[in-house]
Amino acid sequence: MILAIVPVLLITLLIGARGVAAMRTTSDFLVASRRISPTVNAAAVSGEYLSAASFLGIAGLVVKDGIGSLWYAVGFAAGYVAMLTLVAAPMRRTGALTVPDFAEARLGSPGLRKLSAVVVLVIGYLYLVPQFTAAGQVLGVVSGSPYWVGVVIAGAAVSITLALGGMRAATYVQAFQFVLKLALFIVPAIWLVLQVGPDTRRDALTPVEFSRFDAVTRVQFQLDTELTVTEPTRVTTADGERELAPGEYAVEGGQTWVFPAGADVPRVGAAGPPGGPDWARPLLDPGGHPVLATWSVLVATVLGTMGLPHILIRFHTSPDGRGARRTAAITVGMLGVFYLFPAVYGLLGAVLLPELYLSGGTDTVVVALPARVDGSWVGTMFTALLTAGAFAAFLATSLGLLLAVSGALSHDLVPSTLRRLRFTPLVAALGVVLLALPAARVDVGVLVTSAFAVAASTFCPLLVLGIWWRRLTAHGAIVGMVTGLIASAGVIGVDLFLGAPPGLAAIVLGQPALWSVPLAFATMVLVSLRGRPPAWASAAMLRLHLDESEPRPR
Amino acid sequence: MRQQRRVTVTSPQTRLALAGRRSGAPAAPPHLAPADAERARRIHRRQLRYALTVLAMLAALLLGLPLLLAAVPALDTVRLAGIPVSWLAVAVLPYPLLVLLARWQLRRAERTERPEPGGSQVSR
Repeated sequence: MILAIVPVLLITLLIGARGVAAMRTTSDFLVASRRISPTVNAAAVSGEYLSAASFLGIAGLVVKDGIGSLWYAVGFAAGYVAMLTLVAAPMRRTGALTVPDFAEARLGSPGLRKLSAVVVLVIGYLYLVPQFTAAGQVLGVVSGSPYWVGVVIAGAAVSITLALGGMRAATYVQAFQFVLKLALFIVPAIWLVLQVGPDTRRDALTPVEFSRFDAVTRVQFQLDTELTVTEPTRVTTADGERELAPGEYAVEGGQTWVFPAGADVPRVGAAGPPGGPDWARPLLDPGGHPVLATWSVLVATVLGTMGLPHILIRFHTSPDGRGARRTAAITVGMLGVFYLFPAVYGLLGAVLLPELYLSGGTDTVVVALPARVDGSWVGTMFTALLTAGAFAAFLATSLGLLLAVSGALSHDLVPSTLRRLRFTPLVAALGVVLLALPAARVDVGVLVTSAFAVAASTFCPLLVLGIWWRRLTAHGAIVGMVTGLIASAGVIGVDLFLGAPPGLAAIVLGQPALWSVPLAFATMVLVSLRGRPPAWASAAMLRLHLDESEPRPR
Repeated sequence: MRQQRRVTVTSPQTRLALAGRRSGAPAAPPHLAPADAERARRIHRRQLRYALTVLAMLAALLLGLPLLLAAVPALDTVRLAGIPVSWLAVAVLPYPLLVLLARWQLRRAERTERPEPGGSQVSR
């Protein structure tokens, strides 16, 4: 099954290697000469954006948490409407490559530039770690290799590609990978729907709570898991058969337990099993406040999109502001097509592979489905195709993110030369691998949404106010961004390391966007109003709204 | 005001950073000719108004839909082609609406930038 990934890697490396010849300056390395049509660029944006969180994570969350998880996909796509409306064209016109560049161009503050670079690192790592986690898990499922092998292979592939080709390579790689991912996601989905037969299709649409095993079921525990058994159950483990009395059981990762048909399904954690009445509700509901929880995810994803460093830099490959705006508009349509399909995998997975809920491997539901539906070579082939797609998704996003992170490191935090920039990705990738190794347990989709929440609470107010409000001051921007960073990243960190409290606090801490974004905006506005922007601030803002095709002084 | 010249596609800020001249203020503070500034002010005001209406519609869609689904649980039992309507409202309905919204906003934003309708705008 590893063979499925090799072609993706080879093509990526090939396109990457071809880019080297044309690369001359740092600016070539970063933005590929800016001669790319809006459609190609939109494909590249979508290719970069559709990460393992979209390809694997959403379907996995549907199996685990229910239909409400589809709101993540809605937010991921709707972010580009906000991007189109507020940021795309003016941001392109600043000529700034990254948010740190923008901060210095608009507000003339080197301190703000450094702070922005630090935020790029925070967002980049929050986004990169789950990508590598997903790659490690998928490789583990399809090849049986240990988790760390997958993570290390992933890190090597990404950093070599970047060091060889830079972004010129990444632009073509991304556009190619969007088409690849779209095909590799849609075709297997249609095949699955046709293959499963009318009974399974009906079951998928009329969910029944997963409370008894329909057949003898092997559960491969990926990670250490706490099970709650509610009635006496006979299971077969590596040590032979044993009778479980009701109570709590700790299962070590790597074990395989076989449950007999008709046995009661043990509980895992606080969440209900797939198919229950809460599961079927189309709202996110971690703590009894479904509307607030759903809104919070939507605010984070919609407003966070415009602050994602790897996406922003991609808009600079448009020739002008108008091209950047068209790119954003086309991207909405392209993503809309892709996001119709995670629901298919999620619904079929909840019916056919509900035991993933026990084993903690819901993020692998997409690649596990074909083999469950068809045991012959056809199923194996579709597993191979989906694995290739998932790896492409991982690769595409990681390439862009590592570029953004290494750009922030070598451009903004340390003065740089081209040579240094080519090797920074290696260092950055090594850091991600080291962080991903102990992070096997996190949900890909959830951690990625944290990255969105941080972006929404820091860069979103900076960009929106910087572009539309002439009275923004550097001081206000700094105070607002620090507030937003603490309110989002700090709170998410507390939630991750100390565990989520129940009820309303789970939303307040786990998905802080609903309050941290308004807080960051308010801080930025209030602190700015107390200061005075420099005399040129008005011109610095207004020129962002002038079409470049008009003759104007530079 | 600098004269027009062929430049590499590096941003001024990046060149500044690369040259190691990491001074506080931008090399030359941004400056607009009075006519341009007037035009920019007009465009900015109108674009801001358009942007706010689109954002209001986006918010109405994305915040209103969960509220509706929470308020009317009966939508879970109404089925269209066998699929609960409330599921369709999350999985399918938002995407065409988002595309329409994006198209509408793109049209209006581009029209605003054109100085005169049908003027001699060179398209690239």
